[in-house]
Amino acid sequence: MIVVIDSSSAVPPFEQLRSQLAKQIQDHTLVVGTRLPTVRRLAADLGLAVNTVGRAYRELEEAGLIETRGRNGSFVSAAGQQAQEKARRAAESYAAVVVSLGIDAAEAVRIVQAALRTGPATSTST
Amino acid sequence: MRDIQLAGAWLARHGLGDTQPTPALATRLAVRRRADVADSVMLAALIIAVALVQVSRMGDDHPGPRSWVAVAALVGAVLLLRFLLDRWVRAVDRRAAAGLVRRATHPVPPGWRTVVGVPQLTFVVASTGGALALAASALTVDDAEVRYGAVVLLIGLTGVAAGIAVRIGHLLTRPVVADGEDTLTADLVMRIEDGRQATTPTFQWTLPVVLFGTAPGWWGALFVALVVAGLVAFVAIQRRTPHAAAAARHAMATR
Repeated sequence: MIVVIDSSSAVPPFEQLRSQLAKQIQDHTLVVGTRLPTVRRLAADLGLAVNTVGRAYRELEEAGLIETRGRNGSFVSAAGQQAQEKARRAAESYAAVVVSLGIDAAEAVRIVQAALRTGPATSTST
Repeated sequence: MRDIQLAGAWLARHGLGDTQPTPALATRLAVRRRADVADSVMLAALIIAVALVQVSRMGDDHPGPRSWVAVAALVGAVLLLRFLLDRWVRAVDRRAAAGLVRRATHPVPPGWRTVVGVPQLTFVVASTGGALALAASALTVDDAEVRYGAVVLLIGLTGVAAGIAVRIGHLLTRPVVADGEDTLTADLVMRIEDGRQATTPTFQWTLPVVLFGTAPGWWGALFVALVVAGLVAFVAIQRRTPHAAAAARHAMATR
């Protein structure tokens, strides 16, 4: 497990950090309950400003991937895994509907992509 | 140039032969080598200086506490120099980190179990406790000279214990200096080696010489027994503990 920040990259450092941590949480490299380094520690290790790391942590928290427990620090949240499980179950239901309607897989994927592009408001209204 | 060659040899010795030795790594290793040499020279100088103080006391019919003040000053100076050496190493690390375009770190920082290890920490705590008990036992001797020396020894050992605690704290919290997986492994190897070096109880085995020859025979025998037991335990721990590189690779694979 490793986090790399490239200061010469066009991607902002907070996004580099956020995406790498999010990926490691989603693929279970960082398991639920893992304690993440403090904002200050990570900022010092990566040569970033404290605010930059703080912003990445805030976005991960808003996405439900990590939770902050006061002075104890930030931990990989079970909520992220629950959300993934919920999405997986919804996908299974969708797949069952697609099969029952005789829609082919490529068309089913296009429908999902269109729904993702238009956002949750449109998908709930249909 | 020689530092780069030595860094290449260090990487090969630690199973990182594929990694190109960078000037930053060479500088970090060089400063550690110099600090180690300075540390050994300081210890040798302390033993010689204490021996000279003891010799001067023998020629004095009424040796007062002044010689113990000199010994206390020597111990204090050595502890201060050790602190400054540690600060120098950290400053070089900081400069090396500032020059990196890419920075890499662990999302889960290695803890004290990885950096120092349970056997090594137990060993240094036991050695320090043993040396402190030995110094305290000298307070019971019915000789004011020995008791002065025991107080000096207790102060010195307390300073050493505090110094070790601070050094371990720095090892666990000081920023990582790496730009990729290989250099991150090298950084962890260095950290583990620094941790093992910081917890080797050289001072705990050396400082009691301030009372050797002045204290009664039973005290001298206890001191020798403590050092011999410590050396046996040290060898046993060294034989059972995995090499720093193996410990670092294991930690990298599991975190």
